[in-house]
Amino acid sequence: MQISVKSFTHPKGYVPLTFFIFLLILPLFLPTYFLHIAITMLFFAFVSEAWNIIGGYAGQLSLGNAAFFGLGAYGAVLLTHYYNIPPWIGGIVIGGAAAVVLSLITGLVCFRLRSHYFAISTLAIGEVMRLVFLNQRQITFGAEGITIPYKGNSILYLQFLSKAPYYYIALALMLLGMYITWKIGKSRLGHYLVAINQNQDAAEVVGVNSARAKQIALSVSAFLTAVGGTFYAQYIYFIDPDFVFGLGLSIEFALIAIVGGVGTVMGPVIGSFLLRPAMESTNALLGATYMGVHLIVYGGLLIAVVMFKPEGLVGWVGGLYERFLELLPRKEN
Amino acid sequence: MLLEVQNLNKRFGGLQAVNNLVFGAEEGEIVGLIGPNGAGKTTVFNLITGVYIPDSGVIRFQGKNIVGLKPYQICMKGICRTFQIAQPFREMTALRNVMTGAFSRTADVEKAKRKAEEVLDFVGLGGKKDVLARELTAIDQRRLEVARALATNPHLLLLDETMAGLNPKECDEAVSLVNRIRNKGVTLIMVEHVVKVIMSLSKKILVLDYGTKIAEGKAEDIRSNENVIKAYLGEEYRRAIRQQY
Repeated sequence: MQISVKSFTHPKGYVPLTFFIFLLILPLFLPTYFLHIAITMLFFAFVSEAWNIIGGYAGQLSLGNAAFFGLGAYGAVLLTHYYNIPPWIGGIVIGGAAAVVLSLITGLVCFRLRSHYFAISTLAIGEVMRLVFLNQRQITFGAEGITIPYKGNSILYLQFLSKAPYYYIALALMLLGMYITWKIGKSRLGHYLVAINQNQDAAEVVGVNSARAKQIALSVSAFLTAVGGTFYAQYIYFIDPDFVFGLGLSIEFALIAIVGGVGTVMGPVIGSFLLRPAMESTNALLGATYMGVHLIVYGGLLIAVVMFKPEGLVGWVGGLYERFLELLPRKEN
Repeated sequence: MLLEVQNLNKRFGGLQAVNNLVFGAEEGEIVGLIGPNGAGKTTVFNLITGVYIPDSGVIRFQGKNIVGLKPYQICMKGICRTFQIAQPFREMTALRNVMTGAFSRTADVEKAKRKAEEVLDFVGLGGKKDVLARELTAIDQRRLEVARALATNPHLLLLDETMAGLNPKECDEAVSLVNRIRNKGVTLIMVEHVVKVIMSLSKKILVLDYGTKIAEGKAEDIRSNENVIKAYLGEEYRRAIRQQY
């Protein structure tokens, strides 16, 4: 990709650039509550991007990604708590490695099954992890959950008093997730994953080692999800097994990508930028009225998307974006 | 001998799908495999390409036993196949379909793309490389399958009823394609129901019935073989032959 002055005189160049600069300066004027929503948008875009590698490109509907998420979260918190190990090592390196090991076990067991049966078996992996962390109370503090030992403003311990640093980390993670997905999508592995998704038997016959390709996709997804778990723990300061290993979270990862559009780089981003604010605003506006009204509205939104755009919003949003670009001034070469 | 099959057996429950089959394919040969429906022709392909594991028997390719290898490993050894019902990657363009095959020999995306374009031109799909596989006609989908298989650079190509349902003109094109593939040095084994076609293409024909080889030889011998007429070609065929001569 060549970047020149010319590419910034064309809407295709200056619109993304403007948007990126807007994202960079956003924390300077956004009130705290809205900044929090922005962080969850970026963060869920990242973990959903990670899910998209195995669930979208390879088409293996994982409903157990929370297992990897929880390992990243608990790795960071427990190792800081017991040994003062910073989350960079405790969460990302050790928690990430644990997630990769778990992904190997998951792959060995679950890839023997296909489609719905695969999905159900991954669901069990997440539940097993939740129960282990719930019941090993001496180590994990069980259902009480655990709070991060407070270290003040510290890059080493990934703790900040203001929200802005978390915002920038979440933004960097999202961009990283998009870059990795884009890289994989263009590579031989990406071609193989899409082929396996469409017809595994035909892919095998033309030389695709489907077990290996799927395993790599799951392990990459697991590692990135664990990194997401570490970030979540550092941001929220408190974790408990029911949330970080919860089925609800696994479904959320998948749902965001499905609503946005699976198997695309932009899908999870679009899904997260739509669903997270929708979730938060229905909660804020309707949460205090009747119990569950916000969930009804949120659910209705999901149904509408699935009914009218079953392939995800990415194509539709992409079309709108193209039309918007047409309207903007440009300097022809 | 490029491919040697010895005493191959496969049973599905009470059905002996392949029964003590012995045959071989010499380098550069086109071997025809014919027989009535359910005779076990496709099962033989599935056994050679590792989709099924034989109950007993040996399959030697270039002198090495390949029984027990996975389909992708067998592809890497140089055996590829097409399916009786075309199985393209439906939501991919023709080009990407064929690239998937080409990736078996290179990890480089540009190289795979060049190889795929070359093979698409070879089978006559060069102009449709950006069309989604599901939008291709049934015949083009079969061509695409052949292209995808050729992109893996096979020494041995197994074609499963590539010509079923083609009109005479399409059939001629397919025959010419098979000849061009053979001229590239690829050995072929073809399952085919269009008897005329297989008789003209293959020097060696194998006839299966209930999983058992009932005849093997040149087209002329097969045509007049009593067992083959009884099991497969039928009395009609005998009468037609008589009238011809």
